Amino acid sequence: MIPYISALILILLAIFGTPLFAVILAVAMLGFYSLDVNLSVIAIEIYRIADTPVLVALPLFTFAGYILGESRTSQRLVRFTRAFLGWMPGGLAIVAFVACAFFTAFTGASGVTIVALGALLYPALTEAGYREKFSIGLVTSSGSLGLLLPPSLPLILYGIIAQQMDIGANVAISDLFLAGIFPALLMVLLLSFWSLWENRHNPVPCTTFSGKEALAAAREAIWEIPLPFFVLGGIYGGFFAISEAAAVTAMYVMVVEVFIYKEIKISQLPSIMRDSMVMVGGILLILGVALASTNLLIDAEVPMRLFHLIQAHVTNKIVFLILLNILLLILGAILDIFSALVIMIPIILPVAVNYGIDPVHLGIIFLANMQIGYFTPPVGMNLFIASYRFDKSITELYQAAIPFMIVLLAALLIITYWPALSLFLIQR
Amino acid sequence: MKKHPRKSFLERSQMIIYRLEDSILVGLLLLMIIMAVLQIFLRNLFVSGIVWSDVLVRILVLWVGLMGAMVASRQGNHINIDIMDRFLSERTKIVVKFIVELFTALICLIVAYFSLQFVQMEFAHGGAGFAKVPVWLCEAIIPFAFTVIAIRYIILALTNFKKIVKAGS
Repeated sequence: MIPYISALILILLAIFGTPLFAVILAVAMLGFYSLDVNLSVIAIEIYRIADTPVLVALPLFTFAGYILGESRTSQRLVRFTRAFLGWMPGGLAIVAFVACAFFTAFTGASGVTIVALGALLYPALTEAGYREKFSIGLVTSSGSLGLLLPPSLPLILYGIIAQQMDIGANVAISDLFLAGIFPALLMVLLLSFWSLWENRHNPVPCTTFSGKEALAAAREAIWEIPLPFFVLGGIYGGFFAISEAAAVTAMYVMVVEVFIYKEIKISQLPSIMRDSMVMVGGILLILGVALASTNLLIDAEVPMRLFHLIQAHVTNKIVFLILLNILLLILGAILDIFSALVIMIPIILPVAVNYGIDPVHLGIIFLANMQIGYFTPPVGMNLFIASYRFDKSITELYQAAIPFMIVLLAALLIITYWPALSLFLIQR
Repeated sequence: MKKHPRKSFLERSQMIIYRLEDSILVGLLLLMIIMAVLQIFLRNLFVSGIVWSDVLVRILVLWVGLMGAMVASRQGNHINIDIMDRFLSERTKIVVKFIVELFTALICLIVAYFSLQFVQMEFAHGGAGFAKVPVWLCEAIIPFAFTVIAIRYIILALTNFKKIVKAGS
């Protein structure tokens, strides 16, 4: 009886806004206490943060992303993409998808994309003749597009958590980076086709390709264009480990934005650093305390028991995946992506592996769900950010976002039931 | 420019603590970036490196993370679920916040207490973290950070408690 009561109290505390790290800690404490384990074990578990080499990538990429978010990278990115892709039919919509995907990959889906890129793209889209509802829906749903592209923080975090668990299969972050590329492309492709179809009665005039503008845009962004190549080339060329790529990126971005573009004053740096580390602190704290509760879960064989319980009702892998998608969509809407990862992966991953799902594929499925969860009514975070940023009522945003959500759900189904799309690049 | 009213002693000391905390946090992050980049250069250009540099960088991650978490607690900005927020009245919201903050403070105090025990054990045990720095010192940030977070949540809870009393009278 007592376990149920305390579980109920903790759930209530959680949904009424208790910091999740405190809730997880409380669970871990109750667990250790009932097993007669000295609670100082919690400190040992938290100290494991310092024993995880790849974790260095987290603060460094976050910092780089914050710097990019604070400078005028967004403008250069939009101009560059527009100069090279704007001539295509449906050009500006495609430009928006591609630019958002790149920006989100580097800045993490923390709402920065909507604030920084949406503010540029939304007026541009309506000016070019796209309907208002379409434009706002596009900007809102693209705010999390690119989560699957390297070096997105959630991908890294998934890899770190999966590596902490003994599941008998290797989950390298470099594999996750490759696995996300084609699913992300699929999403951009489907969204682009849908934009063309949606605007078929409302032809938006095409612009012609201008070599001069392309050159000018490229010259303007010359210092930032190498960034993706740095990260991918460095890692897959064997020059850098992930954490080294992160260090180089952080240093490079800082030098370029402060000393070459001069868009960030040195006096601004400390507050940008602090703000980025506040975000890192929030994530690391949850990760650290979750390391403690994860061990408890595994010792108590919770994932195995859960697997047997589910297996008794669901024997089919496909049915399991459908149920998983539904669960994750709901979770993605109410939990932020980092806590969802930290709390759910230790439970779901062993169960999924038992159903024969590849852990890398599971990561892609998980994040694809989370990406949609960001703008799933009624509580997806990006809906509120967009409502605030563009001064629209939240119900307007619900209506605007739903078509995009349906398109991405189609992409999600393909990603889920066609593992090869994620896995063929890493040959598993 | 209008002259600001003199700040109270408490407010001034709070400002100093915030500044100090910010500077240490920024310094640690800079150190982390520099050490990480330096190590890459040494390894690739001179096929050498500082032996303890990787360990230091990893410990810095812990320190930066926990200090970031301390700063986040100033305004109670920790990751949480806020779905109920929109359905509560202003009055109830304050009461709920008070309970939640008190609970968080209590949990942090317990962690601080037991991690202090852990650090004491490590102190008695000895052992180096990196270079000649003892490992207990590297771990000391854990009880320290949780104590600070607990204090900040107690302050937040007290502020809300005052509001409840004020609204009641």
